[in-house]
Amino acid sequence: MSCEYFPDLLYISKKNWSQIEELLKEVILSEEKRKKIDLFVQEVTTLLSSVPETKFTEIADQSWLPPGIKVPLLQIPFTVKGRFRMAPPRSLNVVGSYPLGTCTKPDVNVDLAVTMPPEILQEKDYLNQRFHRKRALYLCGLAHHLLCRPVISSMHFTFLHGDYIRPILLIRSADKDLHSVTLRLYVCIPADFFKPSRFHICRNNIRSAWFQGWENATQEISEPPTPHYNNGILREALIEAHLTFLNAALADFPGSKEGIMLLKIWLRQRKLDQGFGGFTGFHVSMLVAYLISRNQISPVMSSYQVFRSVLHFLAITDMTVNGITLATDPNSLGPTLSEFHSAFQVVFIDPSGFANVFADMTTNQYKQVQHEAQLSMQVWDNPNFDGFHALFMTTKTLVRSFDHVFHISCMSRLQRACNKMKLFSDIMDHNGNYVAAALPYILSILQRGLGERISLLIPVLPQTQEWSIYTDPPQHKDMGLLSFGMLLNTEHSTNILEKGPAADSVQATEFRRFWGNKAELRRFQDGSLCEAVIWDGDSLFEKRLITEKIVKHLLQLHADIPESSVNYVGGLLDRILQVGRKPCRTGEEESLKITHAFDDLNRKLWNLEGLPLTITSVQAAHSSLRHTQVFPPLPMNPDLSFFQKEKLDNSLLPLEEKPCPAYIPALQVICHMEGSGKWPQNKEAIRRIKSAFHIRLAQLLRQQYGLICRTAVNALDVYKDGFVFRVQVAYHRESHFLKEGLTSDGMVHYCNAKEKEALKLKLETVHMPLLTSVLNGLQQQHSTFGTTARLAKRWIGAHLLDACLMSDEAVELLVASLFLHPAPFNTPNSPQVGFIRFLLLLSSFDWKNNPLIVNFNGEFSAAEYTEVKNYFVSTRSNLPAMFIATPQDKKNSVWTRESPSVQILQRLIMLASESLLVLERQLSAPCSFQDMKVVFRSPLDIYDVLIHLNPKRVPRQAQAIDVPTVTFSRGALFSEAVGTKAFMPIVEFDPVSIFLKELRDAFGELALFFCDPNGGLIIAVLWKPQAFSKQTFRASHMNARLVEIGSNGAQTVPNVEAILEDFEILGAGLVEKLEIQTEKWSI
Amino acid sequence: MAAPDVKHAIGLREIPGGFTAIPICFQKTSRSHHYLYVKEHKVRTEVHTTRPLDRTLLVLNVPPYCDEACLKRILSPCGHICSIEMRDKPGPVEKDDSEQSKFFKAPQPQGFSVAYVVFRKASGVAAAKKLHPKKPVVLSTDDHPIKTGIKKWISEYRDSLINTEELQAEVDAFMQEYDKKEAEEKQRAEAEDGVPDEEGWIKVTRHGKRPVMPRTQAASQKILAREKKKRAKKELLNFYAWQHRETKREHIAELRKKFEEDKQRIALMRAQRKFRPY
Repeated sequence: MSCEYFPDLLYISKKNWSQIEELLKEVILSEEKRKKIDLFVQEVTTLLSSVPETKFTEIADQSWLPPGIKVPLLQIPFTVKGRFRMAPPRSLNVVGSYPLGTCTKPDVNVDLAVTMPPEILQEKDYLNQRFHRKRALYLCGLAHHLLCRPVISSMHFTFLHGDYIRPILLIRSADKDLHSVTLRLYVCIPADFFKPSRFHICRNNIRSAWFQGWENATQEISEPPTPHYNNGILREALIEAHLTFLNAALADFPGSKEGIMLLKIWLRQRKLDQGFGGFTGFHVSMLVAYLISRNQISPVMSSYQVFRSVLHFLAITDMTVNGITLATDPNSLGPTLSEFHSAFQVVFIDPSGFANVFADMTTNQYKQVQHEAQLSMQVWDNPNFDGFHALFMTTKTLVRSFDHVFHISCMSRLQRACNKMKLFSDIMDHNGNYVAAALPYILSILQRGLGERISLLIPVLPQTQEWSIYTDPPQHKDMGLLSFGMLLNTEHSTNILEKGPAADSVQATEFRRFWGNKAELRRFQDGSLCEAVIWDGDSLFEKRLITEKIVKHLLQLHADIPESSVNYVGGLLDRILQVGRKPCRTGEEESLKITHAFDDLNRKLWNLEGLPLTITSVQAAHSSLRHTQVFPPLPMNPDLSFFQKEKLDNSLLPLEEKPCPAYIPALQVICHMEGSGKWPQNKEAIRRIKSAFHIRLAQLLRQQYGLICRTAVNALDVYKDGFVFRVQVAYHRESHFLKEGLTSDGMVHYCNAKEKEALKLKLETVHMPLLTSVLNGLQQQHSTFGTTARLAKRWIGAHLLDACLMSDEAVELLVASLFLHPAPFNTPNSPQVGFIRFLLLLSSFDWKNNPLIVNFNGEFSAAEYTEVKNYFVSTRSNLPAMFIATPQDKKNSVWTRESPSVQILQRLIMLASESLLVLERQLSAPCSFQDMKVVFRSPLDIYDVLIHLNPKRVPRQAQAIDVPTVTFSRGALFSEAVGTKAFMPIVEFDPVSIFLKELRDAFGELALFFCDPNGGLIIAVLWKPQAFSKQTFRASHMNARLVEIGSNGAQTVPNVEAILEDFEILGAGLVEKLEIQTEKWSI
Repeated sequence: MAAPDVKHAIGLREIPGGFTAIPICFQKTSRSHHYLYVKEHKVRTEVHTTRPLDRTLLVLNVPPYCDEACLKRILSPCGHICSIEMRDKPGPVEKDDSEQSKFFKAPQPQGFSVAYVVFRKASGVAAAKKLHPKKPVVLSTDDHPIKTGIKKWISEYRDSLINTEELQAEVDAFMQEYDKKEAEEKQRAEAEDGVPDEEGWIKVTRHGKRPVMPRTQAASQKILAREKKKRAKKELLNFYAWQHRETKREHIAELRKKFEEDKQRIALMRAQRKFRPY
């Protein structure tokens, strides 16, 4: 019936079908393995049923325990009434996913429920953890009995789902084939031993007097209810009932089992099933059973349809407000739904009507599941996207998925937090687990404080490790890290103001209490007097850290957690983009300034009077003008005493003895002129006319606006507001004329020889402005795009790959794709997460078999998607290693045609996966926060020769990853005051890049040259593998070679000695020394 | 190979193709040297006035810092040099249509290059081939230092600053010449328009009275495409029963092919363990 609700539910393409089938094949257990497992379980069961009986002892008297084996439970307080002895279990049943047929590889868990015999239980065992103590002791007894059996290779204890009151025994088989199979021994109560009504959530079953250790307590104090404790015992009693229920519910629904497996994969890839309160396979099965009972899953549904129904249900159902129930008996004595809601955050009542399946889950955890479900529904509905991969194959770790992440490292602090928040009864209810008790409160405080700034806040509790049966169980304080992830809401996350209620209102005191000393009275522009919190932040970099300040402040104020225990991962990487002078900026403000200067120039160009042809468009064509320049230029005035003055054109010249002047990039601006019959139809003449235009433009700009201009043959430099713009006149038909030639019979045709030149012109005058405007648009939508692209480019540069080896524009497109097609993630809203996703994309994308389609503004239709894909498949061998299609450039991939080459792409992939690994480890373990620059330092040992450069001659020295100790004055005044601007500064003068070009021109056939464009002091040389093979003499291949006469005639080899000396000659003054790392040539 | 001199001295005259090696080094203190390989220019097919066969010397492996002036200095002891042409690699003469212009020059070859040196007399070539200096020839001497590195780049930067008036004057001169040529051509074409030649053919030019189709590849392709479309329109599809059957069969075959391809792709992915989720 549900198919009527979702008509597209029935639709699934054939390809996706077979993908799902293949996926299921990977996780389903084979019959053979099942047989082996059954045999193993059989053996263990027989062993366990012969546990010898012992005599009764007091629970507190644990002297009977076998030597060495430690009780897997934190026994606080230690003394408890009751008697215990070992006896054979009443029954042994395999429960959980294995008998249901929903368990998945690779980590197979087989749950064996051991029901304690009723004769060792006492009537009042429900009270004060007595049952739990007995269970732990019973487990010890069983473990002892199983010791040294040949079928068993190892035994460990662990807490089930990180719940410190539920120890289980993990048994691994000695059979090698079953190494990934874990038998989990789980001790439970006979179902009928206690009356369920005893565990009504409003009842108290832990006496505070006992828990607090008061000697002579007065009976008069009212005991608080212990819903979590009660629910915990109920759960143990109902294990078998739940299995029977699920077996019955799923029996006639073949699709549901595979659907459950798909859901389990989905959950695991999102790490939703881990830690305390996770969404486990049991929960999934119960949910599917619920949907079956509500007729939302029909017997004919396939695995995928079941999967989709569950996601759909999760996406639209808020169980934190409207809980659901499986209980069918209207006359049940169980608590009402509203009672459940008051005791638990998420409510899903089991068939008995007494227990809550989602008792441990917090609201935020549920919201995360819901959020993921919604996201996945969207992904799957997008026909253009490979949803399968996003849904099932991509692992979403914490640092990959969330914009900001923080860790609380010192768990024992949380105990003090509980004291501060007065959570005694909650701690008691959670059996002393102060982390679980404090978590909901901490979450609600943060949620309130962050408010609109975030769209999701989630906690991540650590997985409990298993421990040997001979060691004590871990304490709460050893739990590890409590981590939190946040998705930011960019619209509000950088607000510096938190406006509160009016000063005289009732809520004002509450506001003051919540914000503490940060709250202050402020008069607003509309005249109102309100409570408010102001966070300081001048630059975007500082504003991005406001959330950090809020988190730290609130945790300190309300939970007594000091700032030093909170490790906030938000802006750690941003520091890479800081340049020396202003420590608290990362360049966004500078980019904006450039844009303003450009807008002004644009206006001025349009308003020029006296041009023979009108201007049809003025377009920016430089990365600084689309917010993606790694270090946007700062407005600069030249210090005249630093330069040689050239009267001609009022220009400055660098002086040889001084340090190389500061690098000022020329910001390309393409100025299209109207088409007219007056344009000549010959490429040489067009070049002349363009020059004439440059001269004319310079004259007019000088006359009408007093700007300093310098004309070159093919461009015009304009010095404005401290920046230099390079205006290039373009005529849209020039590339046609460039290609044109005459055939022998006089017909005009396009000759391929000139194609390259024409393409270069087209790239500069058409594609570049287009890309700039498209990316500018993206920046308007997603303000983190620019910073992410800059980080990515910085990383690529830091690994010695400059624009010749990996084109900048390709990197920008890669980053753009992260923002346009974020699935299965959310759009990155912090540079850090954007950068991590960039590394992920680079390292995991299958470049060989897939085109990367960057669909700007959603211009590609589904048909065009297929068209591009088909084109790609049919012509793969002729396409560049990295193929990127955009609506502006469907089939040519203009930005990757020259670079990267296959080898460089391979290296990039390798670097990216390594960097990702290191960075993720660093960000998720706060002890290694000190040095975030590790992934930006490139290893140098793979290169053959290192050319060390003289820092004095490297103009961008200050931009290096590790800030240099010695810097030079480079003749730049950064004061924005208008100085004597009569001289044109030195533009685009970078000895390093000129040197690199000369090296590549001369020795490009023999070696690759690597250098960090941003302040690299080393040019690394790598000989090409085939460079030193001997060749026969050919007149066209004699560059830098010498002739060697050997036994088989004259052969040529590279003249390495001379080449090495040439490195020094060509770079005289720039090269400091050569360091030869290998002797590859002396074979 | 680490000590190239010794081996090289033996094989000096045995280089295939009749080349001779001239060792050169950058400056007196240089530790190593390159070799220029020289030979008389010999081609079977093409004879060009700029490279007279008997008087032209082909020089291979000219280092990037060795420019025309420098080459001239090395080879002038062999005889008077008329011209030097530097090229990226050896090959036929390319028509150089850009006249000598100060501002609009073809880009100079970068990196290692080859040179065609034309001597005034044929004896120069022979002398050059017999050039066996005991010591490598030094390129950068005290009298004629060669600028490299920072010095060179600074002077290049200086050269990139141009005199606007000169540029303007050159552009004006060129455009005048160009306009004149265009006008002449137009005049000639107009004069020819409508005038039959001796066989009675009339040449149609774009300067005629009636507008005509430009004679370009693009235009002819367009016409061809239009013709094809016209023909396709006239053709009857699925008219006969057998045609219908055939199309159907082809369609199914196409689908089958696609399915097979998909299956193959999946098999490939499975082989690459693309379906193992974690």
